Amino acid sequence: MIRTMTATAALILSTGAPVLAGKAEVLSTYADIAAAGYEDSLIKAQELNAAVDALLADPSAATLAAARTAWLESRVPYQQTEVFRFGNPIVDDWEGKVNAWPLDEGLIDYVDASYGGPSDENELAALNVVANTSFTLSGEQIDASEITPDFLEETLHEADAVESNVATGYHAIEFLLWGQDLNGTEHGAGDRPWTDFASGDDCTNQNCERRGEYLKAATSLLVSDLEWMAAQWIEGGEARSALTADESAGIAAILTGMGSLSYGEQAGERMKLGVLLNDPEEEHDCFSDNTHNSHYYDGMGIRNVYNGEYVRVDGSTVSGESLSSLVAEADEGVDAALRADLNQTMIELAQIKTAAEAGFSYDQMLERGNKAGEDLIMSAVGALVTQTRSIERAVTALGLDQIGFEGSDSLDDPDAVFQ
Amino acid sequence: MRLLLALALLCPLTAQAGVKDVVDGHVLPGTARFAKATAQLDVAASADCTAEAIRPAWNDAYDAWLGISHLQLGPIEAKGRALAIAFWPDTRGLVPRALGSLIAAEDPIASNEESFGEVSVAARGLIAMERLLYDEDFAYDAGEYECNLVRAITHDLSRMAVEIDTEWREDFSRTLLTAGEPGNDTFLTSREADQALYTALLTGLEYNADQRIGRPLGSFDRPRPTRAETWRAGRSLRNVTLSLEALNDLTEKFADTDTTWTGLAFADALSVAVDLDDPIFRGVEEPAGWLKVEILQQRIELVESSVEGEIGAALGLAAGFNSGDGD
Repeated sequence: MIRTMTATAALILSTGAPVLAGKAEVLSTYADIAAAGYEDSLIKAQELNAAVDALLADPSAATLAAARTAWLESRVPYQQTEVFRFGNPIVDDWEGKVNAWPLDEGLIDYVDASYGGPSDENELAALNVVANTSFTLSGEQIDASEITPDFLEETLHEADAVESNVATGYHAIEFLLWGQDLNGTEHGAGDRPWTDFASGDDCTNQNCERRGEYLKAATSLLVSDLEWMAAQWIEGGEARSALTADESAGIAAILTGMGSLSYGEQAGERMKLGVLLNDPEEEHDCFSDNTHNSHYYDGMGIRNVYNGEYVRVDGSTVSGESLSSLVAEADEGVDAALRADLNQTMIELAQIKTAAEAGFSYDQMLERGNKAGEDLIMSAVGALVTQTRSIERAVTALGLDQIGFEGSDSLDDPDAVFQ
Repeated sequence: MRLLLALALLCPLTAQAGVKDVVDGHVLPGTARFAKATAQLDVAASADCTAEAIRPAWNDAYDAWLGISHLQLGPIEAKGRALAIAFWPDTRGLVPRALGSLIAAEDPIASNEESFGEVSVAARGLIAMERLLYDEDFAYDAGEYECNLVRAITHDLSRMAVEIDTEWREDFSRTLLTAGEPGNDTFLTSREADQALYTALLTGLEYNADQRIGRPLGSFDRPRPTRAETWRAGRSLRNVTLSLEALNDLTEKFADTDTTWTGLAFADALSVAVDLDDPIFRGVEEPAGWLKVEILQQRIELVESSVEGEIGAALGLAAGFNSGDGD
């Protein structure tokens, strides 16, 4: 802020006319945070990949535990990048490959009998590709004898145009590392035995080799997908160029991403809905019971881009001219309220995380009639809704409210509608 | 975008939105009607809880819900009521699963008025009732557990409808009408109240196009007729028609500006709906039928762009965030 004022003052002195401080610099900070966030996600995915190699080379309780730890760490930077989704079409179009959720996990591997079979919505809900080397898709015979990254990405992912056929990304890997969480709204995560990856007679639940093949293919794919996205945000990358092509549209994109993630996605789809359904499968990271962290780092990501500061996985900081300072120049009250709201959300999300880490896990919070859990989650939902109102006010304060929000194709391109 | 900015620059932003007309002429009659219809449904279920006996009252309640379901602000949004009243779309088949587990366990919560509101929204409200009343897999006789369950659901619905009506009447109307006045923490300016209603209008239109029609359309190569809303009850198209009529009414009350184009667009979409002889969008399975349903979707999208270009531009409004943002 001080730097902004100084820079602005200098400009006023030199040109004699008031100049608004730096949309370009704000966009640059945002893109720098995105680049660092995806690079961190890539680094952690590479570590996960190495841990999966170690697990498959020498299956044991210890190597499975190490792979799970690597997965949990990999979620920390990745969740903080979710704020880039909704404002940036290049991210939104790609995101389904790496973080699609919820999933019908029976597509991938064995599940408990209580899971049920094919549903009205999804004929492949219980396909179990690990156990089947061929299957029928829309009347066509599919060869699944080799589980390769290509097969997962091109054939199995969103097979039959069903979104819950999630064959790739973090949650497919999570399911392979943890297995189903069969504890309902009781404490406890998935409990896949390490012997599910063992060879020969030690192999449990059959097809260990194909299961390992799947895990390796999905992890390799995650690495290559993150490599691609990290490259889009470096200097000259496509995501960065698209963002900075029109400065006002770029600023609006930041706020769109913040608001859409806060309200429709996190407060609504991921948090409120779980409480209303009392369904432990509505947990975002349901196999690993990591949902409290998933929500927490989503919230952190929103705060990062507004305050223009991101703490990397190595502890270093990326920071620069912030959107906050830009809003403050337009309306100090709106900026102060939004900053306070973002902080309040982090406190509410931290309370969920605190309780979960002390043993009151997120699925327990979703139990029917569990008042304490419902209050914890709904307080965070309330804070997210409140911050969304402040984000809308920031949009108005910056005069960006004629820029189309998500879903308003017609606003962006009326010609397409009136043709 | 350029067109809209140009319009915005040309029109002096002196037009006012008719928030009071919306509240008095659209919202309150609608919430009262829904409260009455669900009370009658509850009475019907008390008298005779068999499916045949309560289907007419269920349909009336659904009709009444469509008169206000787009008002996703204030009392309807609060406490998850919108989803508890109508949990749709059910993309993961949770309704049959939640009902099935209550029925299998003969869960005593169905006899507990105070606690029934804690049940999963997938087993509450109008959509869960549709399964019980129209799905053969859930057929039941008087005296079976399902009878109690139906009564619990109708009672819960009636309770929520009364709460919505009361909260609108006694509280939220004033919140909207005193937007921008000291002490109003919800709407800091009168423009924020206008924007909230404008967002509800556009989101409602989008919901009809993307969900009510978009879901059964699926893609040309892979239509999804069983994803239509309440197809078991045979009223998928009726839902679209009634919702469009309600949104048209909202528009007329809301806009004190010239709405020639928007009015024409509504009339056009409604006439396409009337002419479409496909009550549950089953026609999407054939190419010609698919295209006919898609035409209705396009006409609704044309209403959306008319609202944006005509009313949004004149009032200087753009839609805020809505619950459909995200996936």
